[in-house]
Amino acid sequence: MDPDLIGAMLQLGLPLALLFGAYVFGNISENAHYRRLRRRERASRNFPAVTFKSIPPAWNVVNAELVTGNVVISIDHFKRFLAGLRGIFGGRLKSYESLLDRGRREAIMRVKEEARRRGAHAVINIRLESARIASSRRKGKGTTGVEVLAFGTALKLAK
Amino acid sequence: MEFRGRLPEEGINVSRTHPLREALHLSAGLFLVGAVIVMLGAVLVDRIVPHIPTHWETTLFGSYGSSVAADAENGEEDAVLRASLQALVARLASHWPETPYRFRVIIVDQPEPNALAFPGGLIGVTSGLLEKVESENELAFVLGHELGHFHNRDHLRSLGRGLVLSLVLASATEGSTGNLVSLAPALAERSFARDQEREADRFGLELVYREYGHVAAAGDFFTRIHLPGTALERELVGYLSTHPVSSERIGALRVLGREQGWPDSGELRPFSR
Repeated sequence: MDPDLIGAMLQLGLPLALLFGAYVFGNISENAHYRRLRRRERASRNFPAVTFKSIPPAWNVVNAELVTGNVVISIDHFKRFLAGLRGIFGGRLKSYESLLDRGRREAIMRVKEEARRRGAHAVINIRLESARIASSRRKGKGTTGVEVLAFGTALKLAK
Repeated sequence: MEFRGRLPEEGINVSRTHPLREALHLSAGLFLVGAVIVMLGAVLVDRIVPHIPTHWETTLFGSYGSSVAADAENGEEDAVLRASLQALVARLASHWPETPYRFRVIIVDQPEPNALAFPGGLIGVTSGLLEKVESENELAFVLGHELGHFHNRDHLRSLGRGLVLSLVLASATEGSTGNLVSLAPALAERSFARDQEREADRFGLELVYREYGHVAAAGDFFTRIHLPGTALERELVGYLSTHPVSSERIGALRVLGREQGWPDSGELRPFSR
């Protein structure tokens, strides 16, 4: 076979193999994260974490404090590739949707876990923020990951 | 009021499309768009090339040619050989009086028999080709064929195509596969179309006729180069990959000679190395 052709196939094949590897590993870690999330969400489903701005009048609050849950998740090579392709044609960046979904759910779980550890009975006024972690390699143009921050007011009620 | 815990709803915030399916769709779309641009670009290049003044070409690529030539000038032995090749090309080119090119010949040290036309009037002949040549007449046809590529500006066409291809590749990959992009012109260079080769053959054969008064042995080189061995082994020989040799092509040469009334027998001149 033509040596140039072999070279071209190698140059095309290697990135493709890397991309597929990134898909496989990204998929494994994402599925594992979702499994852990669902287990923890079921375990804490009866712990209220709500968006009320004010304390319901019936509640007898003895302590209120700020709780935060913060998570940073890396974008994998495959998701970035898919988003790059999307960037040409436009449309929903589906590959980032699961990333941010995981981020939000994980951040809320961490808020609940912190509130529980502090002996609170509920979290009110939950808010979510997200930010992109810029890539230093590409002078801040690329994205290496997303940060999702959830915060709220944990309330301890009198018995 | 009673609090009832609820689990997050799945499948609302996350699309159900399989990522691999999405990747396939988008890549196919991108490939299609790229292919259309490359094809349109090739048509455009073919339209534009005949209108590019030759002195632009020689000004742009003259220096490129001389740097390659300087690399190739090695040894006293080669200089003599080069001079005789140069003289042969000059004699052939004298039958194309309106030629705007100033042709230069270099010998490329490669075992595969091959001849190449570079932009700006530079002709590369491999040492492997010179070893295989048995008469001046057949060498004249090989060189005449390359002059035919210049006459039809085929080298500029393939260069333009390569340029379009690498531009499209570069913009599609945002330069992340730089090596592939740099390889593209080399790949495009190999794709002289069959009719381009036929046209160059026609031009080369006419030059041979004008120079020697007959076209004997012109196609001999191609018959001889039909090497023994498997198709794969033959594929490895460079000349065959850039200049597909087929019995059809040799037949076409004979038919052309007969049609034009060019005698196919006559005295052969020896070629001394």
